[in-house]
Amino acid sequence: MSLPHLAYPGLPLGPSSLYIPGPGTHLHTASSTIHASLAGQPILTTPPSKDSKPTISIPRLLPSPTHTPVLSEKVSNVNTLPSVGSVVLGRVTRVRGRGVEVGIAVVYPVGVDWGALAGEGGTVGGGQEGGCVCADEWAAVIRKEDVRATEKEKVVTAEGFRVGDVVRGVVISLGDQSNYYLSTARNELGVIMAKSEAGHTMHPISWNEFRDPVTGLTEGRKVAKPF
Amino acid sequence: MPLDTSTYHLSHALLRLDGRRWNELRRLHAQISTQASADGSSYLEMGNTKVICTVSGPGEVRGGGGGGRKEGLERENAIVNAEVSIAGFSGVERRKKGIGGGGGGGKGDRRTMEKIQNVIAAAFTDIVFTHLYPHSTIVITVHILSSDGSILAASLNAATLALIDAGVPMKDYVVACTSGLTPPAADIGEGDASDPLLDLRGGGGGELRFWGGGGGGGGERVCVCVMESRVRVERVEGMLAVGVDGCKQVREILDGVVRAQGRRVVGSVVRQGGR
Repeated sequence: MSLPHLAYPGLPLGPSSLYIPGPGTHLHTASSTIHASLAGQPILTTPPSKDSKPTISIPRLLPSPTHTPVLSEKVSNVNTLPSVGSVVLGRVTRVRGRGVEVGIAVVYPVGVDWGALAGEGGTVGGGQEGGCVCADEWAAVIRKEDVRATEKEKVVTAEGFRVGDVVRGVVISLGDQSNYYLSTARNELGVIMAKSEAGHTMHPISWNEFRDPVTGLTEGRKVAKPF
Repeated sequence: MPLDTSTYHLSHALLRLDGRRWNELRRLHAQISTQASADGSSYLEMGNTKVICTVSGPGEVRGGGGGGRKEGLERENAIVNAEVSIAGFSGVERRKKGIGGGGGGGKGDRRTMEKIQNVIAAAFTDIVFTHLYPHSTIVITVHILSSDGSILAASLNAATLALIDAGVPMKDYVVACTSGLTPPAADIGEGDASDPLLDLRGGGGGELRFWGGGGGGGGERVCVCVMESRVRVERVEGMLAVGVDGCKQVREILDGVVRAQGRRVVGSVVRQGGR
């Protein structure tokens, strides 16, 4: 039995002898049929082992964020959670002495193909292909000792980041209850987009400097190596 | 024409102080699926009464203690719980929290809150198909952000939307609105002076007799009926009729909100399918 492309509340999806009801569905005990509770596209999740049954679920359409006008078709319908090893893009929200707070906006799946990313070009870090735009910003922190690989003890966070910078980092730990832990301790990780104090978009000139093309002044950053 | 009363006498003027006729609702605005973290959520405004509602569940019974957990697990039907909190800044004057550590300060408030919680829980236990979710609970949490009368009605409406967002199967919408009476004319005696009013505001209603009504089920079924003060029995029928009529209007508005959300979902699925 194939699942319908679109389910509406109450639609029978299949017998409970073949499937397990997941989120967005409910089991009607009298007829032992699985019915949809939500409107949306039913998804069949294959079981981890061959003995158990596949799960039918209907993902909820998450509210689109009101503060940033992201095109709704680019916002993933499913919650994309960063996991250890996944490359993420985020925006610096706060610079502290002990670390930098970042809001994760884009998550690339674990084992992302760096070559393909490079093909999309630019220091911007490629387009959305392969990466999932998060409906919500996930809070993350880059601790001072995770900013770069060498001379860790001499890192000064204020000389490597500024609020508003777009950073490419890798998740090293799911962290504590409030933050993911990111690291930029690799050449291709760090700030990929930055605006100067005067408000102009700058371009990288070395591993630790960006230059403002209008005023000609340079500012210190932990620069991500362009592909 | 007196300006200090909340309503004009109907035989003199047909408008209330806020410009509505006797059978008009306040502006009703609602949003559905407002919070990503909850299973279902909604935001509802009835005039200046603003309410946010989240639903968590149906899920496992939350362990409160050994005894409580056992009680939940034996159940054949889901339990519907309601939690209502009124923000300190919701009224005209800021309410202070916890005067005297649970002393007499907010006793009346706590009592009204408990009453609202019980009414919401009872109403939805009746309307939700609880037998589909054995051993589980559905928790409805209502936050009243701004309060200008009809708190119970706004909470019920918001809870309906949040439950629909959560995908909980229900027999029908539970919609609610208040109805009341105009204050009797100064020359009491003939008795027939007060007329029913729909959707009362808070504040200046000192002279009004409040009355909350809730409709649910195939259109005209009344599943909640809360009297907030004593009314003469001859007036009840008129107030009930006005209230049910108001509930029909509310239902239409809420239905529009739900359908708009449905269109959004269908649109996103079709767009995904097209890619």
